Amino acid sequence: MRFNEKELVFLSRQPSERAAELGMKGPKKGDVMKRRLVKLIVNFLFYFRTDEEEPIGALLLEQCRVEREDDLNFSIVFLDEAERKYVFECDSKEQCLEWIEAIIKASYEFMRKNLVFYRSEIQRLTGKDPLEQYGISDETRFQASSGLPPLPPPPT
Amino acid sequence: MKLNERSVAYYATCSSPPDKTGFLLKKGDRNPAYHRRWCVLKGNLLFYFEERESREPLGVIVLEGCTVELCDSESAEFAFAVRFECTRARVYKLAADGAVAMESWVKALSRASFDYMRLVVRELEYQLEEARQGATSPWAKGRGKRPLVHGGGERCGAGGGGGRGGAHPRPTLCVSRASAPVGLQGSLSQDPEVSEEGVLSLGNLGKENGVSWNKPLGLANGVGEVGVSGMVWEGELDDGDGEIPPPIPPRRKTPGGSLESPVSPGTGCFSKLHDWYGKEVAELRVEWLQSQ
Repeated sequence: MRFNEKELVFLSRQPSERAAELGMKGPKKGDVMKRRLVKLIVNFLFYFRTDEEEPIGALLLEQCRVEREDDLNFSIVFLDEAERKYVFECDSKEQCLEWIEAIIKASYEFMRKNLVFYRSEIQRLTGKDPLEQYGISDETRFQASSGLPPLPPPPT
Repeated sequence: MKLNERSVAYYATCSSPPDKTGFLLKKGDRNPAYHRRWCVLKGNLLFYFEERESREPLGVIVLEGCTVELCDSESAEFAFAVRFECTRARVYKLAADGAVAMESWVKALSRASFDYMRLVVRELEYQLEEARQGATSPWAKGRGKRPLVHGGGERCGAGGGGGRGGAHPRPTLCVSRASAPVGLQGSLSQDPEVSEEGVLSLGNLGKENGVSWNKPLGLANGVGEVGVSGMVWEGELDDGDGEIPPPIPPRRKTPGGSLESPVSPGTGCFSKLHDWYGKEVAELRVEWLQSQ
């Protein structure tokens, strides 16, 4: 699948929500824990060799689950491949919890849920749709359930 | 650079509802001809498939740090372009099958970025905070809390997350730059009367006012609270290249049409409000001292 790599690399150089050196272990059987610079930017987690400018890779943080493995470790698992875990090792319990929270909140879909919730709460409290003044009430992305039907499952 | 492509493709085809779908003509990566592609916009990702029934996308365009503009094309009518800021970046040329579709796609793509969504979420968080303060006595919540916080040093309303450097376009709540400003852009223009009380920022939403959701939303991404432990800010609000700061959100009006709190009249002016809160704090302090 093609993707706009150059632009993604450019994105990886932008200021991040959170960045730290963590241990990172890939999902494959032989993978070992390695020290990586991990950067959270929008809904992507970029990871770099600690002395390099260009990222080794990026993980899109949608349709994934973040779990606490133990005091210092958390894992990211993608829903389509639940057996494959990316494991991260932090330096402290606090850091581990902070990263977990940050990654959960980094998904676009998570933000969308919040927005839908806020919108309906504000409507309930004030009787007004808060998005109306911006002329974006009808935008599909702000609806509680999108006007569009879900995509049909791919043919098997 | 590696990408978790399989999972990205899964996101494209999974049952979460897309933001927009339709056929678009897309100019080839190397081939200058336009090809018809089935396009699916989800969040900040534009996927394109060879056919509507295709199992996997041909590719994806990550829509961060880009602008969408109308463009003239000799080979296609109703053309528009997705342009990225980085040097030697690609320009993705697309064309819709009619004026209505074109406008609809341009709007949808302009608002697709994560930054934009975050902006709107923050705005609603702020409005919810206001609505809740209106609904209950301000004294039920944290004492001495200032509902109006001066925007200095924090990201005002329309600021993008993380105070990105000049290279990254600041998201605004307006439609694509090519079209005439609609509704929002007008209302976000600099209010010449903005005084201290008119500067609304989204700071101090407070963990105290955690929304009854499953996560403490007071800690949402990018909230300008330096106090939040561990948050790493790598950008600066002022990127120093003379770029105009994001426009301040319009003054909010209560149903009565003034900025005055329904609970504390005469406090339309920030300094009066400040004094009023200050008095209450002083009284509480005295009460406490007396109880010792």
